[in-house]
Formats: sequence, structure tokens, C-alpha cells
Amino acid sequence: MDCADARPHLVALSQGRVTGRLEADVRAHVAGCAECAGIAETEAALTAALERLPVHPAPLDLKRRLRASWPLTPPQSAWRRRLRVLVPAIAVAAAVLVVAPIAWDRFTVRPEREAAARLVAEAVNDHVRVLISQQPLEVKSSDSHQVRPWLTSRLDFAPAVAFGGDDEFPLQGGAVGYFLDRKAAVLVYGHRLHTISLLVFRADGLPWPRRELTHVGGVEAYADATRGFNVLVWRQGDLGYALVSDVDASALRTLATRLAPAS
Amino acid sequence: MVGGGGLDPDALGREALAYVDGLHNLARYLTGDPSDADDLVQETYARALRAAGQFTPGSNLKAWLFRILRNTFLSDLRRRRASPVLGGLDTVIPSAQDAGEVSWLRDDVELERLRRVVAAEIEAALLQLSEDARTVILLDLEGFTEVEVADVMGCAVGTVKSRLARARAALRVQLKDYAR
Repeated sequence: MDCADARPHLVALSQGRVTGRLEADVRAHVAGCAECAGIAETEAALTAALERLPVHPAPLDLKRRLRASWPLTPPQSAWRRRLRVLVPAIAVAAAVLVVAPIAWDRFTVRPEREAAARLVAEAVNDHVRVLISQQPLEVKSSDSHQVRPWLTSRLDFAPAVAFGGDDEFPLQGGAVGYFLDRKAAVLVYGHRLHTISLLVFRADGLPWPRRELTHVGGVEAYADATRGFNVLVWRQGDLGYALVSDVDASALRTLATRLAPAS
Repeated sequence: MVGGGGLDPDALGREALAYVDGLHNLARYLTGDPSDADDLVQETYARALRAAGQFTPGSNLKAWLFRILRNTFLSDLRRRRASPVLGGLDTVIPSAQDAGEVSWLRDDVELERLRRVVAAEIEAALLQLSEDARTVILLDLEGFTEVEVADVMGCAVGTVKSRLARARAALRVQLKDYAR
């Protein structure tokens, strides 16, 4: 491989997108060519700088507006005709029922939403602790067969984690943390240069969101975004799971699908 | 990706909404303004909803949505430029800072300065680039392949690599002003 062959791949090399034989060939050329090595170094520095570019996820109120405005099932014209006949009856029923949604919101929906917000805020706090900690990982390993036994020996439960990492989401290690009032297993995955925290904890006694759930893999998860982080929380059996990162929501869902695959 | 066996509006809606963060991020860097970005994303979904029947199940929904967002932004930009009262969102002259000889730029930029650039500086530098350059860099960062970027930007696949190289070179030129 000469300079002309290697240079078109130097940007992709800096992004980790060149693999296999091609990567070996490009690296071999760069190792022996000072000019290409200089270019590769500059591209790597620019790629690293771009990874620091602030991410602007959609604000929560925009997400709610979009969720409400996207009619998942288009209305049928036959229904419209029936509704025209039923309008007077509906008007009376609506007057009677107007109080019910307010009470429902006040006593059921709002407390649940607040409880969900607490779960999300705690998950983000724990993730931020991982990010700013000097030694975030107490056990550094990409082998889940090392990480999980290490965690199990320090917790009062066995953290069931179905996914031990892959090339797209490599497992980086784990640590013991706290989620609200209880111990939690903290597993850290990578995605490109981003860090993703998975918190696993006993779910008993925690208020759990039952509305606004979205289907992810084999579970119903609650999705939210706060302080620039995307969060997915779900429950499987006796355990609760919280996945947090600044990666976009679709990448987080992809990882969640691997952690909680549809059976 | 939505499967190939017929259009399920529920599945389409769920998957479409999963891309809202990436769409908003691009919108934010295209418009440079949080509320304009919200409006652009909302208009993107409104257009996608109206055109949902034209979406081919099994094709790339994410690229389709990003293409709608960019086309919406560009048509809005053209409309604003045609109206002197409204003014333009994208005030950067496209070719002014994108031109340049890539190899010359690499020699000229000090590596250590580039390594010290902080988030706010790279953001400010990116916002100085033309719409075309910003878009190709952000789509690349979003993880799109060259084929997908070509699909979103409506250009040939072979053009994407050279556009990206020019855009990164232009960004390095901008960063020289910040990283001191």
C-alpha cells in the first residue's frame, strides 16, 4: 500500500471505522511513512475534538408534543360518520366526565410522573458520578464472566445481565454504586467515544412508571431525557434496570434491545 | 429499521420518534437557535407524517427523516433569503471558508492547539462553516455510512468523501482562530 492508497482511509481510521486486513495495511503504511503519520495524527486530533462537540438532544416537551401529534393509527372515515350521530351524547358524557381526568391526573398520573422523574434523575446522577470519578471502574474487564461474579460477591442480589458486550457496545467494566436507598451494580459500556452506564438494582418497593411506556426488545421501558442525557428504565422480574448516556436515543434503544432481547 | 412486510403505522411512528434526538442535534447546528431547531424538527415530523404513505417499508427510515429535515431547512432558508424582511438563517457564505487545499491545511495547523480545543470552541467553529460542510460533518458524526450521507444530501456516493475531507479541512482552519 502506498500513500495514494492509504490517505482516503485516514479519516475513517481515526474514527475506528477501518477494520480487518485493510486496517492492518493502512497502519503498516502509516508506521513507515512520516507524512501519512502526520496526517493521521491530525485527523485523529480533529476526530477527538469533534467527539467533544456538544450534543443537543430534543427537549422533553418537544418529544411529548411529537408523541401526541403523531397519530399512530389514522382515523377511519366510518368512525367519523358514527361520531357525528353520537356528538350530543358525547357532549353530555364529556360534561359529566370532565372532573374525572383532572382527579385522575392529580391523584394518579402526576404522582407516577414525579416518581418516574426521581428514578430518571437518580440514574443520571449515578451516570455523572461514573463520568467524573477518577477511578469509575472497580473491576476493569470486557469479560462479563469476570465482571458479574465480582459484582455478585459484593451485592445482596445477582445482577442478571444478558449482554456481555460486543464490538459496537464493548463492556468496559463494573463497580458497586447506590441507586436511591439500595446498592446497585454499575456496568459500563462504550459506544464510539461515549460512555453508557447500566445500573441494576432491586426493584422492590420502588414506585414504577406504568404509563408512557415504550416497547424495547422484550420489555416495556420508560424513556426520558434530562440534562442532555437519554435514559431508559425498565423492570424485569425483581430487578430494575436504568441505562443512561449522552448517546442518541436510538443507540440507547439498540443496546437496551441487546440487554433485554425479545424472547 | 422498519421491516419489509407492509407499512405498520404504529411501528413507523415508534421508530421515527426514536431518531428525534439526532434530528434535533442536526437542526440545532443548522439553525443555530434552540427554538428554530424545535420548529424545524416539528415541521420535519409533520411532513414525514403527510408523506408516510410514500415511505417504502424496509428502506432506511432514519436517512429518510434526515433528508426531510435538511430539505425542509433548505426550502425555509430559500424562502427567507427571498424575503428581505425575514432575513436569512444561514448567514455564512458557503464557498468562502470551504475552499482550500487540504494538504496545505494539515501542515499549517498545530497539532497541540487542535488537541486543546474545548467543546464551546469546536461548536463555534462548526457554526461558522457552510450548511453543506456542517451537514456532512454532523451526518458523519451521527454514524451514517457514505451511501446514507449521499442519500440524505442528494449527491453521488463518490462525492461524499471529498466533501467530508473539505469540510474537515475548513473546520481546522476555523479552529486555528480559537485554539490559541
